[in-house]
Amino acid sequence: MELIKIENLEKVYQDNGVPVHALHTLSLNVNQGEFTAIAGPSGSGKTTLLNIIGALDKPTNGTVYFEGVNLLEKSKRELSSLRLHKLGFIFQAYNLIPVLTAMENIEFSMMLLGVSEKERRERAMKAMEELEIAELAHKRPNEMSGGQQQRVAVARAIVNNPPIVLADEPTANLDSVTAHNLIDIMEKMNEEKNITFIFSSHDRQILDHARRIVFLKDGHIEEDVHK
Amino acid sequence: MLFTLAWRNIWRNTRRSLIILTSIVVGLAAMIFMEGLARGLMRQTLENQLGAHVAHIQIHKRGFNDNKVVQNFMVNSDSILSVLPQYGAIKTFSERTIAFGLLSSATNSSGVSIVGIRPSQEEKVTTIKRSLIEGRYLSGEPREIVLSKRLSESLNIGLGDRVVAMASALDGKIGSEVFRVVGIYHTSNSSFDKMHIFIPMQNAQEMLHAGSQTAEVAILAGSIDSVQTLKNNLEKKLGSDYEVLSFYDLVPSLVKQIEVTDQMMIVYYLIIGVAMIFGIINTMLMSVFERIHEFGVLKAMGMKESKLFSMVVIEAFLLGVVGTLTGTIIGISITLVLQKTGLNFASFAEGLSSWGFASIVYPLMDYSSVMTNVMVILFICILAAMYPAYRAVKLEPINAIRYV
Repeated sequence: MELIKIENLEKVYQDNGVPVHALHTLSLNVNQGEFTAIAGPSGSGKTTLLNIIGALDKPTNGTVYFEGVNLLEKSKRELSSLRLHKLGFIFQAYNLIPVLTAMENIEFSMMLLGVSEKERRERAMKAMEELEIAELAHKRPNEMSGGQQQRVAVARAIVNNPPIVLADEPTANLDSVTAHNLIDIMEKMNEEKNITFIFSSHDRQILDHARRIVFLKDGHIEEDVHK
Repeated sequence: MLFTLAWRNIWRNTRRSLIILTSIVVGLAAMIFMEGLARGLMRQTLENQLGAHVAHIQIHKRGFNDNKVVQNFMVNSDSILSVLPQYGAIKTFSERTIAFGLLSSATNSSGVSIVGIRPSQEEKVTTIKRSLIEGRYLSGEPREIVLSKRLSESLNIGLGDRVVAMASALDGKIGSEVFRVVGIYHTSNSSFDKMHIFIPMQNAQEMLHAGSQTAEVAILAGSIDSVQTLKNNLEKKLGSDYEVLSFYDLVPSLVKQIEVTDQMMIVYYLIIGVAMIFGIINTMLMSVFERIHEFGVLKAMGMKESKLFSMVVIEAFLLGVVGTLTGTIIGISITLVLQKTGLNFASFAEGLSSWGFASIVYPLMDYSSVMTNVMVILFICILAAMYPAYRAVKLEPINAIRYV
């Protein structure tokens, strides 16, 4: 089932009045359940593409369909609702809320959906057990390692069972062993829960985990490899 | 959970939160204390004036209040005295004669208001007996006089000394009488002390050749709240031959002063409130600007603008709750302690006394006013958070996430 359909995507930034083409007439389809990597050097447009797919940014030209719905026709409020209900985000810098514990960080995304406190607790604990971080439940981000924080971030992203999780360089701040562990976990979630993952990376070894790799260069797709 | 998050956000920067909390605590405690002090001062001054002489209501022959001469005395006050016991609102009353005259000692003399009283009645209406600092009150024996410490010093006399009182009598002649000083009093009102001397009613009437005529009946009501109604009822009952005046009519400047003090307190609150608003706005704006990246993440996660707005407002509200709670406890505690011990302004006693203020002021706690202050400050906290909250919700998630 086609989850995302991108047609002739173009994104132009203004840098001190000088137009910078981040994405050039890029077209891409992503199906439900894919485990896709966006690869490419710095400045190739990976983050811009993920931001547009994640309804955080708008393209200059082109269209983006999410589950058949054109995102460009949606209001800010509708896009916010879409992110809440349909998308999970994993950031390079983890971006956990520093004053909340691991458990509360995971619960937070459910609280935004209005899930009851009892259910939140149960689902958060279950997600933590799946990711083998139950012992971190009452620790705050500053008491956890980078790898542990990123696992909590993964738990936070998947706990609402979104159809898709977008991860922008999720392993960039981790050592190689922790990075491989994290990608293994994401892969496991993809297989067990059929959650679509699109993650960006420029690490060859990490990219090897992906079943599809979209190589970007200077804002356009250089190569789209299905394994 | 939003409350938990908001509460913890407050303590991210403990020093900053403590500074703004301190301003709320000090501001509110000062508001409670200052209001208590002002209320206490005004109430005390009013009570002192009413207690020393004015009472709650005075009944005179019509015209006496504008022209206090013997010719305006009441010819037959018995008709009034027979009516008063019918009114349950009246606690007690006292008849008086009043004449302006001269009091002379062997070395000096002074213009005074000569008040003739029946001691057994008067001691229930005024506080002069309780204000005695030397000697005793009038016993009912003839030719006794009670005067103030200030007057005794001015006339260079003491207990047991003789003085001569003179005043214009009803027949136009000068009436005079010799009195022996039996008591010396002192009140917080120096102007009152310099003017008022107290002698037995019978001696006053004889000196003024006034027969059984009296100048006024001073009435003390059971409650200050019933004064106006009582006045209206007495006016209807006694008719136009008499003037029935409440303390609102008799000491209008003091009543006005109380009103002005209340208005001044509003100005004072306004100044504190404005300072507080800007302090909270500044704190909340700093707090918002420090978390731009985090707000971007929250918006990326799909947090509704209304929830984000609420979170910032709740932070300010919680600051307000902690601040007002602490400020109220401190403000009430200080006021209640000083309500018992009093606040000694001895070094300003002379100046205060000339305005009728006591040198020891007992603040007066008013809980309804405290509640109003608390509500106003909480409202100020919420109001002050509106702009920072608005700035937070207007952040574009993509820009906010990139913000470092």
